[in-house]
Amino acid sequence: MINKFLGFKPDEKLLPSQTVTEDTEIDLSSHKYQKIWLGPNHPGVTGNMAIELTVQGTTVMRAKTHVGYLHRGFEKLIERRLFVQGFPTSIRMCVAEPDTNEYFIARSTEELSGYADAVPEYANWLRMLSLEMARLAGLLRGVPGQGGTFALGIGVQWGVYLRDLILDRFEELSGARVYHMYIIPGGVRGALPDGFKERMEDNLRDIDDFIIRIKKLMFHNSVFKQRAKGLAVITPEMVDKYGIVGTNARCCGVKRDVRKDNPYLYYDKLDFDPPTATDGDVYSRTWIRWQELIQTVDLIRQIMAKMPKKGDIRCKMPNVLNWKIPKGETYVRLESGRGEMGMYYVTDGSDKPRRINLRGPSYNHAISVLEHMLIGQDVADVHAIMVSLQTCPPEIER
Amino acid sequence: MSFNLKDILTPFTAWSRVVKEPVTIKDPFTREAAPRYRGFHDNDVQLCIGCGSCEAICENQAIDLVPIEGVEGIETKSGDSGLRPSIDYGRCCWCALCVDICTTDSLRLTNAYTWVDTDPDNFIFTPGVTPKDWYEKEEGWRKPGHGYEFYSHERVHMEELHADERKDSFIEFVKGYSAEQAKKEADRCVACGICTATCPAHMGIPEYIKAVRDDDMEHGMKILYETNPLPEICGRICTHKCEDVCSVGFKNGSDPLSIRWLKRYIADQIPADVDKYKDMLGTGEIAKNDKKVAIIGSGPAGLSAAHYLALLGYNCTIFEKLPQAGGMMRYGIPSYRLPYDQIDKDVDYILSLGVDIKYNVNVGTDITLEQLSKDFDAVYAGTGLHLGRSTRIPGSEHENVYQSVDLLRNIVTGAPVPVEKKVVVIGGGNVAMDITRSMARLQMEKFGEVNVIATSLEDEEHMPADREEVVEAREEGCTIIPGYGPQEVVITDGKVTGLRVWKCLSIFDETGAFNPKFDEADERIFEGDMVIESIGQGMDLSYLSEEIKSKIEFGPRGRILVNEDWQAKGLPWLFIGGDIIEGPDVIHGIANGHRGAQSIDKFLNEGR
Amino acid sequence: MKELIEKLSSKYELQEVVYQRDNLVFAAISKENAIEAVTYLRDYEGYTHLVMMSCVDWIEDGKYQLLYLLHNPKLKNDIGIKVYIDRENPEMVSAHHLWKSVWTYQREMHESFGIVFPGSPRLEENFVVEGWDETPFMRRDFDTHEYAEKTYFPRGNRKTNDPAEYMRKKLYPNQPVTAKQRKDDK
Repeated sequence: MINKFLGFKPDEKLLPSQTVTEDTEIDLSSHKYQKIWLGPNHPGVTGNMAIELTVQGTTVMRAKTHVGYLHRGFEKLIERRLFVQGFPTSIRMCVAEPDTNEYFIARSTEELSGYADAVPEYANWLRMLSLEMARLAGLLRGVPGQGGTFALGIGVQWGVYLRDLILDRFEELSGARVYHMYIIPGGVRGALPDGFKERMEDNLRDIDDFIIRIKKLMFHNSVFKQRAKGLAVITPEMVDKYGIVGTNARCCGVKRDVRKDNPYLYYDKLDFDPPTATDGDVYSRTWIRWQELIQTVDLIRQIMAKMPKKGDIRCKMPNVLNWKIPKGETYVRLESGRGEMGMYYVTDGSDKPRRINLRGPSYNHAISVLEHMLIGQDVADVHAIMVSLQTCPPEIER
Repeated sequence: MSFNLKDILTPFTAWSRVVKEPVTIKDPFTREAAPRYRGFHDNDVQLCIGCGSCEAICENQAIDLVPIEGVEGIETKSGDSGLRPSIDYGRCCWCALCVDICTTDSLRLTNAYTWVDTDPDNFIFTPGVTPKDWYEKEEGWRKPGHGYEFYSHERVHMEELHADERKDSFIEFVKGYSAEQAKKEADRCVACGICTATCPAHMGIPEYIKAVRDDDMEHGMKILYETNPLPEICGRICTHKCEDVCSVGFKNGSDPLSIRWLKRYIADQIPADVDKYKDMLGTGEIAKNDKKVAIIGSGPAGLSAAHYLALLGYNCTIFEKLPQAGGMMRYGIPSYRLPYDQIDKDVDYILSLGVDIKYNVNVGTDITLEQLSKDFDAVYAGTGLHLGRSTRIPGSEHENVYQSVDLLRNIVTGAPVPVEKKVVVIGGGNVAMDITRSMARLQMEKFGEVNVIATSLEDEEHMPADREEVVEAREEGCTIIPGYGPQEVVITDGKVTGLRVWKCLSIFDETGAFNPKFDEADERIFEGDMVIESIGQGMDLSYLSEEIKSKIEFGPRGRILVNEDWQAKGLPWLFIGGDIIEGPDVIHGIANGHRGAQSIDKFLNEGR
Repeated sequence: MKELIEKLSSKYELQEVVYQRDNLVFAAISKENAIEAVTYLRDYEGYTHLVMMSCVDWIEDGKYQLLYLLHNPKLKNDIGIKVYIDRENPEMVSAHHLWKSVWTYQREMHESFGIVFPGSPRLEENFVVEGWDETPFMRRDFDTHEYAEKTYFPRGNRKTNDPAEYMRKKLYPNQPVTAKQRKDDK
């Protein structure tokens, strides 16, 4: 439209002549293409990763994900640590929801050493509470963050403030704001503080209000709709082929949620139904995340209502300094805000794990899926697609 | 794409926030953190014992144990390493595992969280010692409680025969740990090693406890024999000073590790077979030298010295007055605590190393010490305390007033032991408990009922006997009445009928000298047909000729003075050890014997 | 899960079958049959979701163990197919044609363990480290501590003491009781 108004006629020969696919041949020596590095230091990139884009005009012809700007070999480091020492390192593999990794280490070691059923009920409820709080903190940044990729910055500010309130609650419960180090093999590291539920309820009310505001801001917004609808569609066929999980799978109608499929902790005692959409585009991904925000607030209320008032927070276990686990292996999974996360945990009879391997949703979402989805898109939409897939590099280069 | 007017206008509702109060915290630097916040460390250094569990559990290796100088109350002593944790904040991740494992509850994290400095080296500091302004903060991370503990504070219960089953026989009543129980108990150890310094023999306790966890008894035995050649014996009757300083038992309500029973467990797993022992300990072939050492007495000190000398290749000959080896371990300790076959197990192995032993030889009468000094290159004397001490109260010279050591010896040798219906024992130490409980058993055998009263000067809390001895004696039907001082053995018609006592108010006077004060108004008479004195033992040094006595030096209470190499001052060839120097108990004897052997080795090698 | 394992074992030789949970089973299949079995599970048994691929270094046995963890979204259970390959000559048939995500795993394993998957796309590209010429870093024989000491610059301002040893030096010096202490003192 603008071109028409300005009377500008682009040279059609210079533009991509056909629909771009992965198989479109590109000849870099033709001088028609440009390489752009997006990241690793770029405010729009999720975390420390980079995308090497080959563009023609503003159309992305090829994309390559580069990670490794953060690599500290967490998995390898945990192999050098006692079973109880693993969790403070593991949380670095996922900054947004570190509690998931604490849970994996705790649950795997408990399962392999035969203490899975010994964990006190109260501790399991607290684990669930901290996991849902982490999801809430992630969504409070993630949902308005999607608007942020389309230059809608105000929602992000609202969200970050509310996320900070949730971090305040984390600080009360676990003693830290970001890296909580709360879930430990055998249980958790602190009972619910006095007055926690009331303060949490206050925050949840603020979030209820925020949910309405953000709906008005983003989902009744013609700009957002125009840019997000139809953008980067995930089809149901892609889900298994690419290993897509979580909200990214649910946005195209593939209803997968570990909390429902393989219930862990006490999720089978909670009343919820994971939201789904059918379009599979950026808009529907954001939309079901917004619905999940409502659901998570509700789940936290349910947990606080249903959990026991008090109890033991850790079961009796062997001396942590001398704790050995017989040879074995397991895979423990849960539903994080970004989808199925899991950990493959191998023990060899010694006092340290033989191997731990994290399965993060971003491993697929940020590499094979993102590289595929970016092809043929406009450069201006790259951030939006990336954020909509909720890519998080720490869990790739763990 | 269709435009909806609503979709264009609704986002402008965000402008309504313009009139809202900002939510930003104005002054973030003074924001107080949550009460549970994991901020900077504080350590109650007076409470801390420097066990190093914090260092062991630190996943970032941020903690070092450093000596503290110039702080009053912190010194290296039994039960305190004198070290304190220093933390490198360049590595710390504030996970607080160090707080959660702290054996003394001295370490905590305050909720302070800002620290600005220009010198990076300042960020290595010793909490509680380096002056910091956050120590006064009360809030911060402490152990969470609510069943959260990193090691068990409860000792694995040791099974024993019930009092009714044990009080009529001399069968050993402590059953010993099963493999599962031993491993569970060994699991509680934090391997700090504080116990090693307190143990007179400085045994490698954490290492042999680790052997129990690993189920590697052979390695465990090797560690035991490095410092203690009598593990079966020590595993039963050691006075376990180590357990008094065990960091796991530091806090009120926590049981120390059952170190003694774990030692017994290791030794019990190996069958009594000297060839197996030699195989396991690698002592099958020992290169002998031509030096000869005479050892007087086959008690713990003598046996220990013989063992380590034999390993060094010396030809040792033990001269034993009594018909069997073991000294007080055999002739002083009742077999319900220490069965004879267990003594034999340890002793047989030592003798199998080429140690010669001559029984029923009384040095001083059968062979003189001078003769020994001529025949041998060195002499080691571990002659022990075998003379009973008398209270010297009126009536104590009566024939029905006995010495506990004599009776205990007679029980073992089979000599006749007088057993009366009512017995009174004077004394509150372990030997007094031994004779009390032995007499109870003999009374059960003879009369079918127990009627023994034991009384001590010290009150209940200060009785020198091990607590469990007192408890078990009471379980067996003995009456223990502490806090009374004997005044007279009541003799009616030439027969002992009881013991007259006064309430004891204090034992020592202001200067610390033994000078008991009594409440004469609180007088009691403990009825008894015989009285047994068990207030301590003295040494019998009659084997020392006048000439030798004139050459060596004596200290207070007639003890022979020795130099740091355990040589009698004045006679370089005479080495002294055991109860006559230190103790009295088995473990000191073993430690003396070990060091004596090393000193003899040094002495005999000096000429070469 | 039992039926599935029975069905599988009628086709392939299964080893180390472990029912870890009601919904998780591990089984080892030979290197030759593994990809065939994985394909069979995907196409006929409904194990359409590749949860992850992983590798474990059993250095003492001279083996790498690969893992193909498959999820059945209908039955909601998982099967982990394990394959042992020789550590000296680590090579495995590529499975990149089965799922679009496989090549990433294989590229990562090539970098971190040195395993070769012939035909796998972009196998030689750097994944998380650039210009790495040491032992592949996830192998058990790569010592991170040693590497850090060698590569970086320790400040050298730290020194620690073992409580037992320190107390010995302080409280009973010149009294070594064990052979090791005698040696140390000399």
